[in-house]
Amino acid sequence: MQQVYSTPKSIKKDSTFTFCAGCDHGLAIKLVAEVLDELNLRENTIAVASSGCSVFLYDFLDVDCIESPHGRACAVATGIKRAHRALNEEKFVFTYQGDGDFASIGLSESLHSALRGENISVICINNTNYGMTGGQMGPTTVLGQHTTTSPNGRNVKYHGYPIKTAEQIALCDGTCFSARVALCDIKNIINAKEQIKKCFEYQKQNLGFSFVEILSSCPTNWKLSPSDSHKKIKEELSEIYPLKVFKDIKEND
Amino acid sequence: MNQKELLKGNIAIAKAAINCGCKCYFGYPITPQTEIGEYLSNEMEKRNLAYVCAESEIAAINMCIGASSSGAKTMTSSSSCAVSLMQEAISYACSDELPIVIVNVMRAGPGQGYIYPSQGDYDQSTIGGGNGDYRIICLSPSTVQECIDMTYKAFYLAQKYKNPTILLLDGLLGQMAEPAIINDNPYEEIDNSSWVLKGAKNRPSRQINSLEPNQTKLNSHIFKMFEKYKQLEENEQDYEDFMCDDADIIICAFGSLARCAKDLCSYYRQKGIKMGLFRPKTLYPFPNKKLEELSLRAKLFIDIEMNMGQMLRDVRLTISHNAKISFIGKPVGDWLKKEELIDAIDKILKENYATSL
Ligand SMILES: Cc1ncc(C[n+]2csc(CCOP(=O)(O)OP(=O)(O)O)c2C)c(N)n1
Repeated sequence: MQQVYSTPKSIKKDSTFTFCAGCDHGLAIKLVAEVLDELNLRENTIAVASSGCSVFLYDFLDVDCIESPHGRACAVATGIKRAHRALNEEKFVFTYQGDGDFASIGLSESLHSALRGENISVICINNTNYGMTGGQMGPTTVLGQHTTTSPNGRNVKYHGYPIKTAEQIALCDGTCFSARVALCDIKNIINAKEQIKKCFEYQKQNLGFSFVEILSSCPTNWKLSPSDSHKKIKEELSEIYPLKVFKDIKEND
Repeated sequence: MNQKELLKGNIAIAKAAINCGCKCYFGYPITPQTEIGEYLSNEMEKRNLAYVCAESEIAAINMCIGASSSGAKTMTSSSSCAVSLMQEAISYACSDELPIVIVNVMRAGPGQGYIYPSQGDYDQSTIGGGNGDYRIICLSPSTVQECIDMTYKAFYLAQKYKNPTILLLDGLLGQMAEPAIINDNPYEEIDNSSWVLKGAKNRPSRQINSLEPNQTKLNSHIFKMFEKYKQLEENEQDYEDFMCDDADIIICAFGSLARCAKDLCSYYRQKGIKMGLFRPKTLYPFPNKKLEELSLRAKLFIDIEMNMGQMLRDVRLTISHNAKISFIGKPVGDWLKKEELIDAIDKILKENYATSL
């Protein structure tokens, strides 16, 4: 019998995702694992999981992994990458962070890592709220969106504007790759994996800071079914947060 | 090699760090310790080591977490209000059991205060300024030579006990130059291959984390940490006892201030008063075994600090059942003239020995 699918080697054996039904974190981690397998990186990787739903990364991913304090993943990754170089070792280092983690509490560490051109990769899950703490307004919460701390909907006058993370990171000189993808249908999932792969390959080639923002569902906090969540991403959110590559140092050359 | 040089405390620490194999330094400027980062910037770049002018102390200490988990000897340095910024990560590093050397060249006052010598961070350094149950190994040099020796020791203890270690000194010692020798690091290297993150090659993958949703596991993790602290308290207490053997009165002081206290011992001994000095070299673990032993004989202890009485609490906890304890303190150390101390001590002696003086 021909085997058409098997669990990626970079996923722990017998692990079951514990994320809410319809949450895209599980799929995102699976894609990361597949790319690690395909690039043969598993045994040479150190992953940084940050506070938020992303922290559970190390329950599922079968690679060396460290948990960072909320928001500091890029600083921790900087330390790991640089320390190994000081020890004459080259490791593959990536962070897996929420949007609140990366773009709110950790914006300073994130932006400066990109500005320095730290040779690390970042996967940032944008679910337009602070998921783990129960769906409060975060830096990416869109105008009009109801959350537990913007109960009447986010409005500019009262709450100010959200951040477009991938666009901002693309502006940094040290960034070699910045893209936004989604996991709302098969076509987008295939594209997401391609961009993650590029992001990781660029680190292997020492090109600088590489970044992929994944527009992700949060059915529990959005109070939508999984399929309606993906519909929302496809029809509404991707209008506000365009799914595209904002910087690719190789294309620009 | 190993010749006497005229060295500032800050530079001595930086040189000792390089000499004992520090591979990573991350920091952000703040007086009175900036020379450490300035000196290392050049020395580490020359050697292809890791040096980052971090965007903040929060970033610096988190870079230390990453570097330490990679198995590299790692250091940061800072001062008081900026060490406060690091406290969340220090608490993580204790739970993660990561060796990191943190140099705190203290300045005075809460908030920004000023760069005067002070010992106001004793509490923060020994009890811990971060959240949860943990302890920080804390070493207190009082000479430039000890800055060197204790830098070696800080790296050693941090690795041995897999715990952050603070080297705590004041701006006086950081800025002051005196002759010292950059001797060789006397400590053995500690094997870290059983826990560092280098990629899951030919072994199961490893995780370093402090998050623990399982109540039983979280409990046993903290109990395990405290087993380690028990070992520290058992084996690593360090102190200097100066003229204590026959002393009736013992001064307790740490750091640069203890040097003034030695002068006081000689002064009072000339007047026929048997005075000694007890100087903790490890602030955590506090050397309570020796102090308690001394309190069986000496009946008056005078605790002198450049703060409002922080080590005083440890002194009281150790000996208040045996001896009388007086306190002289002022939060900003610019004042420490011998005459002022003598006035203050004379007053205490009069209160306690009205007739015999
Ligand atoms: C310093 C600090 N502040 C607050 C928290 C509480 N906290 C944990 S996760 C989180 C929000 C996470 O949101 P995000 O980064 O967007 O990730 P998500 O859970 O949505 O995937 C917060 C506020 C914390 N752990 N540490």
